[in-house]
Amino acid sequence: MSVHSTMRVKVLFFGRLREVAGRSEQTVELPAGVSLGQLFEICASRRPELARYRSSLVASRNQEFAAWDSPLEPDDEIAFLPPVSGG
Amino acid sequence: MPSSSKTDIIQLVRKPISPSKLVRHVRASSDGAVVTFDGCVRDNTRGRRTLYLEYEAYEPMALAKMEEIAAELHRKFSIGRIAMVHRLGRIEIGEPSVLIVVAAPHRAAAFEACRYAIDTLKKTVPIWKKEFFEDGAVWAEGELPPAPAETTAAKRAS
Repeated sequence: MSVHSTMRVKVLFFGRLREVAGRSEQTVELPAGVSLGQLFEICASRRPELARYRSSLVASRNQEFAAWDSPLEPDDEIAFLPPVSGG
Repeated sequence: MPSSSKTDIIQLVRKPISPSKLVRHVRASSDGAVVTFDGCVRDNTRGRRTLYLEYEAYEPMALAKMEEIAAELHRKFSIGRIAMVHRLGRIEIGEPSVLIVVAAPHRAAAFEACRYAIDTLKKTVPIWKKEFFEDGAVWAEGELPPAPAETTAAKRAS
């Protein structure tokens, strides 16, 4: 693969997802053009316990809630967010 | 530290919150009402004895979402200054985890804005609570924030 065909994004995990992922932060190298949903699948393929949380979380891209089909850009900051419980 | 007397206070803190200080900050001479929501740590969840809570946040995004709520309050309600402070880390029974104070010329707007602020915060701000009991700890169930639907580009492609 040429250097132009991959990109790196930062992935953050919070709450129970941080515990399941066993880390709060990770840099992932991806093929260019991958979507947010595909990124989650890649993370879940490395950490299968994550998969069952897919339907009960939302994702953010650069600190804004984002749709699962959002295309990713190099150096994006992605977070997988379980249901929020502040207050 | 956003502490100018002319501005709102929107903060995440790791030390005890002082309600009286926030009330003094928001009250202006043109206000006739100051409404405070003091969200404090309860000693039980559905009858199970709680020892303490721990809160964590996606801090920059949580602050941005709290700022968005404040901006929305100013658009929707006839109010003066707002203080919205959420504490993170370990919090003991009886201590405030969140304090929202809204000042307004008249009470109706202050009550409505304060209620709107806490309801919206609980649904949209990325903060998580873990409850510690005598026999273990659990993440509070919480609410899933509304996320954008699939983008138009992808719909067209499918």
